[in-house]
Amino acid sequence: MKFGQLLGGVAFAALMASPVTAQTLRYATVSEPPSLDIQMGTATLASTIAQHMFEMLYAFDAAAVPQPFLATGETISEDEKTITIALRDGVVFHDGDAMTAEDVAASLNRWAEFGSRGKLLGLEKAEATGPLEVTLTLTAPNGAWKSMLAYPNGGPVIYPADVATAAGGDTIAPEDYIGTGPYRFGEIRPNRYVELVRFDDYAKIDAPLDGEAGGREALFEKLQFIPVPDVGTRMSGVQAGDYDYAEYISGDLYGTVKDDPGVQVKISAAPIFGLMFMNSDTGPLKDNYVLRQAILASLDMEQALQVSVGEPELFKADGSFFPEGNVWHSTSGTEAYSEGDAEKAKALAAEAGYDGTPIKLLVSTNYKEHFDQATVFTRQLADAGINVQMVVVDWATLLTLRGQPAEWDMFVTHHGAIPDPVLLTVMNDSYPGWWASEEKQALAAKFTGTSDLETRTGAWGELQALIYEQVPVVKVGNVYSFDIASPALSTPWDGAPAFPHFWGASK
Amino acid sequence: MLRYVIRRTGAAIMTLIAASIVIFAFIHLIPGDPVYVMLGDGATPDQVAALRARLGLDEPVVLQYLIWAGNALQGDLGHSVFFETPVTQVIADGAETSILLATMTMVWIVGFGIPVGVLAAMRQGRWVDQGLSGLAMLLASVPTFWVGLYLILIFAAGLGWFPSSGYPSIFEEGGLANLRYLVLPSIALAAPNAALILRLTRASMLDVAREDYVRTARAKGISPTRVVVRHILRNALLAVVSAFGFTFAALISEAVVTETVFALPGVGRTVVQSILRRDYPVIQGVILIIVCLYLVINLLVDLSYRMLDPRVELE
Repeated sequence: MKFGQLLGGVAFAALMASPVTAQTLRYATVSEPPSLDIQMGTATLASTIAQHMFEMLYAFDAAAVPQPFLATGETISEDEKTITIALRDGVVFHDGDAMTAEDVAASLNRWAEFGSRGKLLGLEKAEATGPLEVTLTLTAPNGAWKSMLAYPNGGPVIYPADVATAAGGDTIAPEDYIGTGPYRFGEIRPNRYVELVRFDDYAKIDAPLDGEAGGREALFEKLQFIPVPDVGTRMSGVQAGDYDYAEYISGDLYGTVKDDPGVQVKISAAPIFGLMFMNSDTGPLKDNYVLRQAILASLDMEQALQVSVGEPELFKADGSFFPEGNVWHSTSGTEAYSEGDAEKAKALAAEAGYDGTPIKLLVSTNYKEHFDQATVFTRQLADAGINVQMVVVDWATLLTLRGQPAEWDMFVTHHGAIPDPVLLTVMNDSYPGWWASEEKQALAAKFTGTSDLETRTGAWGELQALIYEQVPVVKVGNVYSFDIASPALSTPWDGAPAFPHFWGASK
Repeated sequence: MLRYVIRRTGAAIMTLIAASIVIFAFIHLIPGDPVYVMLGDGATPDQVAALRARLGLDEPVVLQYLIWAGNALQGDLGHSVFFETPVTQVIADGAETSILLATMTMVWIVGFGIPVGVLAAMRQGRWVDQGLSGLAMLLASVPTFWVGLYLILIFAAGLGWFPSSGYPSIFEEGGLANLRYLVLPSIALAAPNAALILRLTRASMLDVAREDYVRTARAKGISPTRVVVRHILRNALLAVVSAFGFTFAALISEAVVTETVFALPGVGRTVVQSILRRDYPVIQGVILIIVCLYLVINLLVDLSYRMLDPRVELE
């Protein structure tokens, strides 16, 4: 054998050898996460990653009921404005310090002042009233308080007091990512991965896992979140064994993978839903509820979902904002959903005095579903004599334009699954669309004014009926995204949670 | 020669300044704001204003340009809005992948395109030539992402010979063996370009072979191999070398697609993601460096003419 051949053979063998990394979970993500300081942002990917490092006072169990997590229980005052929370003893931060009431109070206060969902709770102040006791004072009773303290997406995760105080309104730098979770921060390599490492001194709750609540356990040594933007590559990467888990596989690939023994399909347990907002601030739709009803009447959601999703197992035309089985599920008002009745729409448009003024529909091409749905809607609206002009831009542009009321009449977006209606974007008066009618505010006050679940679910039913009457937003339908995993990966859940978590997972 | 280099360098600097102004203006002309991308749906106007101020985005655009250009002259390209790390570090992180990918691709292009082009020219009109020319047309016509996805399906998901995607640094665990991650992407990226170089080499060889001095050389009884290598190929390469300048430009744009398909942490993908995120400093920094590279490579191509053909006057 010539030397050249020998060298070639060695090089080839070296090129083909693959490293053994059984102790690392490799998760292929769609993109790169923004800051993992999730008090400050609501990006799904950031929450998915950061929930392994940062924990909260409460956590949702499998039935989506908040259970004490870093807390052990609470007492609520008569007027529901003072909540005293007892904290779990023996919880340690990744830097070795024990968690105290001071840390919890500082984290909650920072979140209330600067956090992206901080204003929703109406927290006046959080005070340490004992070494392991925190007292929250609310400006008004808030029925959703426990859900807010359990929802990691833009929620009040607990940091050490000095980290929370020093950061203030700025995002926390990666070197200060210190939490109490089963994984601690490893490193961020732009474009390559975010790596978390098992935290050996983790204070595990002595109870079985139940949803996100209960005893979390890090069975992997490391978690790596790797950006793999191309969906075909995410899929073949799992088939080739390069990734253990890949998120957001597109619906058109469902047929390819559902019977493939080389992958596990994890259909989402938390449907996302498309939304088309209407401009309540300016323009032809401002307060012309009848014209909005005409638009709603002309839309056939089944058709839009068929075109945008395709696979029947992955969508459901459902007008309720919360899926069946959820405590917030209600059918109030949904008889107006997905009528697809051009004649009725024409009659309503005539009654509304619609004169053919073009209606500007803002949509982005970055999400194929948005664009497909908008295209179908434009066609259906044209059949009802409603003249829609699509304004097609990229997502970053849409985010800017939708903040400017004069630029649009309707825009298409989507919404993730949430634990409480108070978190719906349409409930936020300052979210683009700016729906803040008197009727809404009266019902919203009734809805948030109490912790009594029955009163709250009743009020939500009325609010949903009002949404179908005033039509500040149109719900398109439930879309069940799906992820895939290698056959060897075992996870403590079957359907993928909104933020897939990997404590208790192994391979 | 020296005067030529100085003059060309001067022109390159002017081009660079003009390019930097154009880049800056265009990026800031696109609507969209990194602040909305970063803060997400729930952002309040106060948060938006605070973050804009912190990032310096509330200054007039001209002032932002002057600050950026001043810092760039001192080697400071600013901080990535998204990663919150220096742009130079973001670029350096991607540079290893991109440089190795480009090098490996050039190896395939030169190692395949030129010899096979020579072979095709030598067997002009026969089945070898027609087969190779047909293959070249096919490779040049198929889109890079399609070649890439099929390479992954066959050689990674199917046969398992190579990893499907990603690229750990050669300075990390695995060492030089990590180069195996770049084999499939570099082949995908090389395919259309190697085909063009093959066609060009062949055509150029055939042109030169008709020259009088080739006939003379043959008449003098010089060995056929020597005629091909010394007399035909060397002259034919002049056209091929100038095509390398264009090939390089093509590599930069096609690498964006290849890096996306193969999930490579390269500069091309970084710049596309940064455009979607409106991460202005990264876009500006990367494009500035690409412009520099492009200018340098074209200068080198021009200089290499003289080495290949001493008759060329550089004035």
